[in-house]
Amino acid sequence: MLIRPVGEDFRVIGFYLGRIFLVVAAAGLLPLAWAAAAGEWHPFGSFLVMVGLFSLLGVGGVKLAPEDHQLDWSHGMVVVALTWLIVPVIAAVPLLASGHFGSPLDALFDSVSGLTTTGLSVMSDLDHLASSLNFWRHLLQFLGGLGIIIAALTVFAGAGGITLYFGEGRGERFLPSVTSTARFIWRVAVLHLFVVVGALTLVGWIVLGFDLDRAAFHGITMFLAGFSTGGFAPQSTSIGYYHSAVFEAVAAVSMVAGVMSFGLHHSLWRGPRRDALANLETRTILSTFGLTLLLTILGLAATATFTSVSGLTRQGFFQLFSAHTTTGWSTISPTELSNWGGLAFAGMAIAMALGGMGSSTAGGVKSLRVGLTLKAVVNQVRQAILPERAVVGISYYQSGVRHLTHDVVVAVMTISLLYVALYLLGAGVGMAYGIPLELALFESVSASATIGLSVGVTDPSMPVMLQIVYMLQMWAGRLEFLALFSLLGFLYSWVRGK
Amino acid sequence: MRRSSLLFLVVTAFVTATPVQASGTSDVTVAEVIQSGSELDGERITVEGELIGDYGFRDDGWMWTQLNGDAYVSDPIGEGGSPVGGNTGIGIRMPTHLGDDLDPPGRYRNRGPIVRATGIWTYHDPGRQGESYLKVESLSVIEAGRRMPQEADWLVMIAGLSLVTGAAVLWLTLESSNVTRPFRRLSGI
Repeated sequence: MLIRPVGEDFRVIGFYLGRIFLVVAAAGLLPLAWAAAAGEWHPFGSFLVMVGLFSLLGVGGVKLAPEDHQLDWSHGMVVVALTWLIVPVIAAVPLLASGHFGSPLDALFDSVSGLTTTGLSVMSDLDHLASSLNFWRHLLQFLGGLGIIIAALTVFAGAGGITLYFGEGRGERFLPSVTSTARFIWRVAVLHLFVVVGALTLVGWIVLGFDLDRAAFHGITMFLAGFSTGGFAPQSTSIGYYHSAVFEAVAAVSMVAGVMSFGLHHSLWRGPRRDALANLETRTILSTFGLTLLLTILGLAATATFTSVSGLTRQGFFQLFSAHTTTGWSTISPTELSNWGGLAFAGMAIAMALGGMGSSTAGGVKSLRVGLTLKAVVNQVRQAILPERAVVGISYYQSGVRHLTHDVVVAVMTISLLYVALYLLGAGVGMAYGIPLELALFESVSASATIGLSVGVTDPSMPVMLQIVYMLQMWAGRLEFLALFSLLGFLYSWVRGK
Repeated sequence: MRRSSLLFLVVTAFVTATPVQASGTSDVTVAEVIQSGSELDGERITVEGELIGDYGFRDDGWMWTQLNGDAYVSDPIGEGGSPVGGNTGIGIRMPTHLGDDLDPPGRYRNRGPIVRATGIWTYHDPGRQGESYLKVESLSVIEAGRRMPQEADWLVMIAGLSLVTGAAVLWLTLESSNVTRPFRRLSGI
């Protein structure tokens, strides 16, 4: 029997939402301070409104607190889903007030795209956007990549944290408590922030010849987008703006750090480092990267897209690397990318669909699921060949030897199939609007796997329905469905429960 | 006169009278360069637009920047222009002396200089690992850059201050009323 949620359930959910909103309000002080320092008073006002809204909702939520605020699994998932629904709406306020969007839906689209670390954009005239707003877009990606909940868990401890942690698409906890895991994730992020921002700033200043303050601005924004595998960039021509292989190489460090699972970071920092390479997930992502790179390079060579080996290597490698890490930066225009046909296009699309590692800032199906699916398929084939009574067990190495159980296979297959369904859904809607199959599929995968590479479908003139579908895809893809289904279940119980 | 000779004369006259051929360059828009990048490879072209972002003066004697040729060149959002789509820009590379006296590039509150640049469109340059850009040979400023004043919206500012103050008052009221302890709850004590 379905049990209808009562007032106490809503108070528990409101309480945790309130705590999270207060943390996001605190994050909103950063662009507010940036705007004040840069004398950008127009965006300053809109940041004040945003911080005020988050604060009011936060304090209001905490006021709803029941005496016993234990968070069960269902409540936690609903909190996560609602957080990821409400935060982008309020975070879109400064974007909308900037005048760079044609409608509130456009501003919301960029906010969702930012927070889910997708990187697709329908913004007009990015090149004249205020630096504080540009910083906010990139900070949104950073918060979304690490996880808003992770940010909140770092600040407050307590019961229920584990539910919130897993609800945000995290598959593993590599330290005893969720809070210590969350704090480790932040330590990794902050260390990379100092190193990569410093390196990018130096490259911008010394190699590219930018003014020092501008070099720092580019360094900060590009790191925030790279580490979160988000793909926003402060200029409209993405990373191609810099015309520098050195800058791309340093930025790629942040992409690698972002696509690695935080468990792998932990192994590299503290654990036996051999584990990192022995893990099924690492071996899978290296294999799929190699295969899709080969496809892409062969495709580009066959069509003579680049006339030099150095051009083929640098451009082919970077686009594919950006696709597989789900970052979404590009050194070429969407028009040019849409002309990559055949094998190169297939290589890019497959890399995007597979995505990065689990428990990282990356999107897509995720390497561990891909590896486990392949193992399960091989096992099925082996069982078909062997005598009927033969029993074949499957084990794999992922921070220790593990056995692949039936339950794990079902869970892995289910999520993988849901991703495929999500890819097809967006492609179908795109085709209904007259977009050719390959372009519709590419853009749909880009939205669902939170990549951000575009072949030109996403722009301010795109159909409203397609825009809404892409937003849902980004949301579902980032949260890996679990929180989405929990929210739907909660709403259904509210309507039909007794 | 034979018909073929007449045709030859007409064609020759037409070709030599065309300004594009006479000067050896063709006027194209930035959008056309992006759309037909490979077809224009190696051609001397002239494009107009706004210089954007940064001037990167590099040690090798070249300066890099971006040239936008979109609607915001004539109707910047900062001066009441409508948001009508994304930017349309290409990378340009010029000898540093051409960029020495340019006004600051276009950014927030800054309309960059509107220029007319002539140079060789280089598509997937093998010497630069496949980059595409305009190698500028000559540059003339059509319109100087200028500041675009953007003032605070006081209504929005007051609304923001009211919301923040409201949240602070609510917070302090709850603290003093001792009904709930948000600070304690937030920190998990």
